[in-house]
Amino acid sequence: MAKRSQRFLWPALAIPSFAWLALFLAIPFYVVLCIAFGQVDPIFRTSIPAWNPLDWRFDQFAITLDRIFGANNFYLAPITRTITYVVTAVIISLIIAFPVAYFTARYAGKRKGLVLVLLVAPFWISYMMRMLAWVNLLQTDGIVNSVISLGGLLPVEVNWLSGKPYTVVMGLIYGYVPYMILPLFAALDRISPSLLEAARDLGASGFDVFRRVVIPMSIPGIAAGMLLVALPMMGDYFTSDLLSGSPDTSMIGNLINGTIQTPGQSGQAAALLLLVLLVLAAPMFLYTRTVARSETRS
Amino acid sequence: MADLTGDIARLGMSRRRILQAALLAGPGAMALAACARADSSTPTGTAASGAATLQIASPTNPVKWPINPGNEAIASGLSPEKDAVLRLYNYADYLDPGIIKSFEEKYADTGVKVELSTFNDTLEAMAKIRGGSVPFDIYFPSYDQIGKLVLANLVRPLQHSYIPNIANVYPEFLNPFYDLEWQYTTPYTLYTTGIGWRTDRVSEDIAARPNPYDVFWDPQYQEHLAVLDDYREVIGMTLLRNGGTDVNTGDDALLAAVRDALLQMNEKTQPRVTITGYTDLPEGRLDLSQAWSGDLIMAVSYLPEGTDPAILRYWFPKDGAGVVNNDVMVSLKGGQNPVLSQLFMNHVMDAKQAMNNFAYTGYQPPQVSITPEQLISDGFIPPNLQEAIVLPGYFDSGYRLLELPPDTEAKYLAIWQQFKAGA
Repeated sequence: MAKRSQRFLWPALAIPSFAWLALFLAIPFYVVLCIAFGQVDPIFRTSIPAWNPLDWRFDQFAITLDRIFGANNFYLAPITRTITYVVTAVIISLIIAFPVAYFTARYAGKRKGLVLVLLVAPFWISYMMRMLAWVNLLQTDGIVNSVISLGGLLPVEVNWLSGKPYTVVMGLIYGYVPYMILPLFAALDRISPSLLEAARDLGASGFDVFRRVVIPMSIPGIAAGMLLVALPMMGDYFTSDLLSGSPDTSMIGNLINGTIQTPGQSGQAAALLLLVLLVLAAPMFLYTRTVARSETRS
Repeated sequence: MADLTGDIARLGMSRRRILQAALLAGPGAMALAACARADSSTPTGTAASGAATLQIASPTNPVKWPINPGNEAIASGLSPEKDAVLRLYNYADYLDPGIIKSFEEKYADTGVKVELSTFNDTLEAMAKIRGGSVPFDIYFPSYDQIGKLVLANLVRPLQHSYIPNIANVYPEFLNPFYDLEWQYTTPYTLYTTGIGWRTDRVSEDIAARPNPYDVFWDPQYQEHLAVLDDYREVIGMTLLRNGGTDVNTGDDALLAAVRDALLQMNEKTQPRVTITGYTDLPEGRLDLSQAWSGDLIMAVSYLPEGTDPAILRYWFPKDGAGVVNNDVMVSLKGGQNPVLSQLFMNHVMDAKQAMNNFAYTGYQPPQVSITPEQLISDGFIPPNLQEAIVLPGYFDSGYRLLELPPDTEAKYLAIWQQFKAGA
């Protein structure tokens, strides 16, 4: 009897999460599909979702594809811009995060917990609020400029907030760098010190140990960190909106956001969203497969 | 404020937009937006939009809207609804809370409570009204939505006997082209669209240029300027800059020229696209901005302490040949309080309340008692912002942003999308 009830208990515990996924992932996703393949009200220009897959039309999708690959391919500009920004931001995030994670894992000793908490603490404040804080700091008469100009001694006046790509990239890095630090820390922390000692005993120099032991062993962490920061950066739109507000730095997220809010274009927005999802699903899929494989191997 | 696309750009530091920030902070904002659109597709007005065509009102083609059967005006002399909640639907910070308070006090014996809900832009508002989930009583759109509102049977005709204060406003509004015989609308605010700038940052007199709109293409102001986050206003301004006089044109050649000009603007000056100019300009984030007249009047109160209001300037064509518009109040059919709605409109048009609202929002009411000389001499508006005052004559000389036929609207929105994509 007890065994039988247990057989139902464990699957039953999974019900809430399945309900959650159905309610907030599967159903909204279906709505997006129905909008992408639906029609547009001719007068009010609101979208008319096609709830029945048999009624699905590919007009909106065709428009979207045409704007990426066709003659007037103006979707391409924000797409290439986004890729450039994200690649730059991910690489710089890695350069920032690796030493931090390495230090914390190897040298913070008993204070590891404290260091981690301190690193993550600013991120208890909402992303939006942190970006708004940057807006204040980066104003022409803001603190950043007065520091750079040594309190007005040097004639430096950078107009950070006026559509500068580097400001947006900086915002992205600042916003997402902890998601890089944490998985890197986890990976580096897992490397047993005795492995490193063994390498030294066998004659490896400090740099060799780093290059041939630490780096290879932290690759899963690096991959996880890069993926974790790249995915939200790809869809980010408020960083560009708040720190630039200029079409010159619009990213895919801005394009989707603007398109959703434009009457008659929500179908295109949904199509664009699906395309982005498809493209982003590929690295995600690869990553989970390699992780699964490496875990079965070990 | 005509249709406003985009909303996050309005997430500046201002108090009026902070609520939107809260709204957008949620990670599910996109999915929610998608759901909101989905809601609106089971509308009350589907039947109407399927068969009928949209009638476009313009000064040369004034329209008297039909009264849909079963939607006749209420009888006169009814007593106000008891213990009602009067639901207003408006832009954030676009109504003096004092008006709400004084209305509740005036009709205290009915136990009325006024509840204000806000929208980011009228496109979003329209979708929500059509969805019908909240019984809003009064809506504050621009007149470019009246056709759709009537077509979808979403508005209630007015019973004029409840609104004697109509006598306080410019007589044009007793018979406006967009609603002959004011069957559905009462006027709310007036505004022109021009250029605002700071004289401490911009040394030239923009008003003295042969074509002041050219400043948005002038590389010397690169990165220090903004245009409004409003597709009609930016495309309209570009049409005027290109020498046109029809800001509602559907002409493909003219619109292609607009698109090219806008992409060129992106290249030459990298403008910000925002409607927070009323804080960005006084707080120094911008030197120069396309602006609504009300923005500059409001900007005075956002100047940092010690900054002389005299640095603010506003330009609108001297001959009045610029974009001039007005917002209106309508009583929604979905609302539960037709009597109180109309009494509230009447209250807003009271001379004293209207002035308080002007002081709060910066947007000028069409009150006949307001004279430009008096606004300046009372110190209500500094003399350097004299041009931000809307003169009655502008409504004869100015250009109106009219409701667009759906196919033309689609062309405008496509241009806007491309401009905003920074292609």
